[in-house]
Amino acid sequence: MATATTGRGGRGALGLLASNEVGLALLIAVLVAIFATVNPGFTSPFNLFALSRVMGIDMVIGLSMMVVLVTGGLNLAVGSIGVASVMLGGWAMQVAGVPVLPSMTLAVAFGAFLGWINGQLTVRMGVHSFIVTLATMSLFFGAMIVATRAEAFNALPRSFVDLGKLRYGGFVSGMLPLALIVGLGLWLFFNRTSLGREILAAGANPQAAELSGVRVNRTIVVAHALSGALGALAGLMLAARNGAALPSMAGHIGMGWLLPAFLAPVLGGTLLTGGVVSVAGTVLGAAMVTIITNGLLQLQIGEFWVQMCLGLILLAAVLLDRARSVIAERRRSVA
Amino acid sequence: MLKGIWGSDWFGLFVVALVAGTGLALFQPAFLSPFNLYVLLISFSLWALVAMAQMVIIAIGQMNLSVGAIGGLVAISFAGSMEVWGLPVPAAILLGLAIAALCGLLNGVMTHVTGISAFVITLATLSIFKGLNIGITEAQPFYGVPDVVKAFGNARFEGLPHMLIVPVVAIILIWLLFNRMVLGRQMLALGANRHAAELSGIRVGRVVVIAHVISAVLAAMAGMLAVARLQLGQPTIGDDWLILSFAAPVIGGAVLAGGHISVIGTCLGVVIVTLINNALVLLGIDPFFVQLFLGGLILIAVGLNRWRERRLAPA
Amino acid sequence: MRVARMLPLAVLAAGIAGPAMASDTKVALVPGGPHPYFAAWENAAAAAAADFGIEAEYRVPAAWELSKQNEMIESLVAQGFNAFLVFPGDANGTNATLEELAAFDIPSAALAGCTVDPTAASFCLGTDVARSAYLGTKELIEAMGGSGRIAHFTGFLVDPNTQLRIEAVEQAVAEAGGGVEIIQVIADIDAPEPADEKINAFLAARGSEVDGIVTTAWVPSVVAATSLRNLGDKRIRMVGIDHDEVVLSAIEDGFVDGTMLQNPYGQGYIGSYAMDLIRQGCTMKEDAPWQQTAQTAHFIDSGTAFVDADQVKDYQAAMVAVTDEIMATFKDDFLVCN
Repeated sequence: MATATTGRGGRGALGLLASNEVGLALLIAVLVAIFATVNPGFTSPFNLFALSRVMGIDMVIGLSMMVVLVTGGLNLAVGSIGVASVMLGGWAMQVAGVPVLPSMTLAVAFGAFLGWINGQLTVRMGVHSFIVTLATMSLFFGAMIVATRAEAFNALPRSFVDLGKLRYGGFVSGMLPLALIVGLGLWLFFNRTSLGREILAAGANPQAAELSGVRVNRTIVVAHALSGALGALAGLMLAARNGAALPSMAGHIGMGWLLPAFLAPVLGGTLLTGGVVSVAGTVLGAAMVTIITNGLLQLQIGEFWVQMCLGLILLAAVLLDRARSVIAERRRSVA
Repeated sequence: MLKGIWGSDWFGLFVVALVAGTGLALFQPAFLSPFNLYVLLISFSLWALVAMAQMVIIAIGQMNLSVGAIGGLVAISFAGSMEVWGLPVPAAILLGLAIAALCGLLNGVMTHVTGISAFVITLATLSIFKGLNIGITEAQPFYGVPDVVKAFGNARFEGLPHMLIVPVVAIILIWLLFNRMVLGRQMLALGANRHAAELSGIRVGRVVVIAHVISAVLAAMAGMLAVARLQLGQPTIGDDWLILSFAAPVIGGAVLAGGHISVIGTCLGVVIVTLINNALVLLGIDPFFVQLFLGGLILIAVGLNRWRERRLAPA
Repeated sequence: MRVARMLPLAVLAAGIAGPAMASDTKVALVPGGPHPYFAAWENAAAAAAADFGIEAEYRVPAAWELSKQNEMIESLVAQGFNAFLVFPGDANGTNATLEELAAFDIPSAALAGCTVDPTAASFCLGTDVARSAYLGTKELIEAMGGSGRIAHFTGFLVDPNTQLRIEAVEQAVAEAGGGVEIIQVIADIDAPEPADEKINAFLAARGSEVDGIVTTAWVPSVVAATSLRNLGDKRIRMVGIDHDEVVLSAIEDGFVDGTMLQNPYGQGYIGSYAMDLIRQGCTMKEDAPWQQTAQTAHFIDSGTAFVDADQVKDYQAAMVAVTDEIMATFKDDFLVCN
């Protein structure tokens, strides 16, 4: 855990400042303060609602990648799985007449199943999950295209579509609390359950874990299945937001999700090499990226220069965060 | 000797490519026609450079997500400088390479000085480079590519495109770098174990920065070849490179964690992907099934190679 | 440079305008992503702003993705835009966003492409993609002399419009009797490098069998036109889509028979005008001369035309004429104003 070191010593304040999560939270606070001052529209209920909705969805997408990064692998097929599961769920709701909740469960279960296939292939073939999920990204998406002929389900039950309009306190989308609950669940999973700890141990050092009795292969399969389930959930959230189950919602072969999927956990301190996880960091990472995107879109920047500014701000944010942690570490070692 | 080849990283891939090629030739005689070979080699030229650009960074244990963005930025700068400023072709090429070197320098220096993972840095620079591209072009292509460049993109001798010379030279140089030069070995050592590399006196910063510059320059060459090929400076050049840039080296036996790459394996990875794409067209696959076949074929290619490695392991 | 290219058109179109008067309308023209097709919208927005005394801005999502476009639209609402002209990032998916706009009393319309009914869009002003593909194929068959084998190159399969285009080409071929056959459809080639790879592989394998090529997406049109020029092949007939310079010059030089043109400038200009009227209280007329398409019952054709070598030089003037014509009767035809 990225935060594990902070709990140990008695150097509370500085130790806290050195943690990635606090750093991100500070950055977010600064960004919100700047955007709120510069754009009056930023804090309007409409914008906060839209922002919290995108944020919630991107958080779940990020978490879906995070659970596989923990094993030292990755899942390029998150978008593919998300879309394929949602199309099945959409079919169940719209065509087969299955009630909403069982349909959603079906979609999540199907996502878990596709993830399980990824895990099994990775373990059985003994190749990196990168190459397995690269292939299944095309495979799952291709199967979905063949099954649906790329046609959307656009007459989903009202009760499902209304989930996308759920609103708390006038300005918080229901998507955000849902994502936070999922995050809390994952935090408990990695910190309080033996399976979660085993996944972390196996990700940090597979040989050592194997020796101490962890079934490493099983942890990999479980992580991929979990990733698939979360991908499906993110897909359902996006479908509710779009009011339809769309083959196009994650871009060509689901690649549109890759950026948010990697950005959130990596900014949040989850290592690509595995073994280290920060659920709170992933959640905050997703929050930061969506806030930057949203705030930037509202500044009066020449329409074609927005993407470059996004890159610059992202770079600046990452550098600031780095400077903070270096300085805090140095102070701490002096103290 | 024979056993050496059978046991090498790339032999299985070579067999897979050979079998695929033979099968295609039997099913579709046009596969071996000079024009189709030319088309295949054109694709190979571009993708080989893209794959090398990523492979160099994989070697040092990092990732470069901005390969396509650099290629795209160089492509439009190359075409744009000739159209708008009327730069002569050699000057435009130099400008393109210089821009790439700058991009690579930025990636390398940032990664090294800050200690932030290259994944995050290049994710941000991806956005910056692509953003510059869109900002400059406003999504409109540059059409004023000189005839010399266009002719180079089309010139061929039977089945051999002239532009093949660029990747061939690049591949030889990169092979020499990793197999005959100290710098290449230092890159691999760094990728295998950063700590040990530092202890053994390797100047890590220098190696990281050089690797990123090489990567960017290879991407730049791919970008400029794409302009010659497409005959215009499309702002979308490079958008589709990311997945392939990783797929070919990894199929070719590179270890994503770093320290181990195979130049020949990467080239064969490119060949296999190119053959698969060619087959999907030559066999007239229903467009709705294309992705399904693509995924299945990649799995089979990797599985076959893996099966051979396993057979080999106990021996 | 970019602006200069469209300037003559803007000047011509400015002649259409009525008297400018102040209004609080602030309309955003939002394409699906950065794409050369929409460049004319920027000039259209500027001209509409000057002519109708409104604010009109062209705002481009950072990437060609539905979610990016949705975020863009949401942020524009927060900036005070109160009318939207949107190229639907997805014919089904964009409806949810337009509905939300409607819930805030913000009118919107689909521009260049349509959203699927039921939709909150006041109207769809653009091109009936299916009809354009159908007419293009008809022209191609005619150019081929009524019989032969054709290939169809198109864009992303996940785009609902792609499916419509594939069906429309099939329909035109079916109507031509038994003499015409589709020998291959290649899709998902919206990026230039894969398009070059696949189109040339096709020409290598079946170049001698194929008699005609119809393309129904921007990039495949450009790449196929370039390939035919490189091969020096005038035997294979081709009908493209849109107004990329490569396609237009290939038409002039006889490598391509023609292209299915649309009227992006007119879309932006008329669309902005209509949005202002709607903001001032006008409503859409139910018994207006709407056209029915596969997607919507509220379609207005912004001008779809087949342009061949004879017309390619002055197609812009033709489009201005179409724009003029629609503008002249638009208010009376489509709106009820008090």
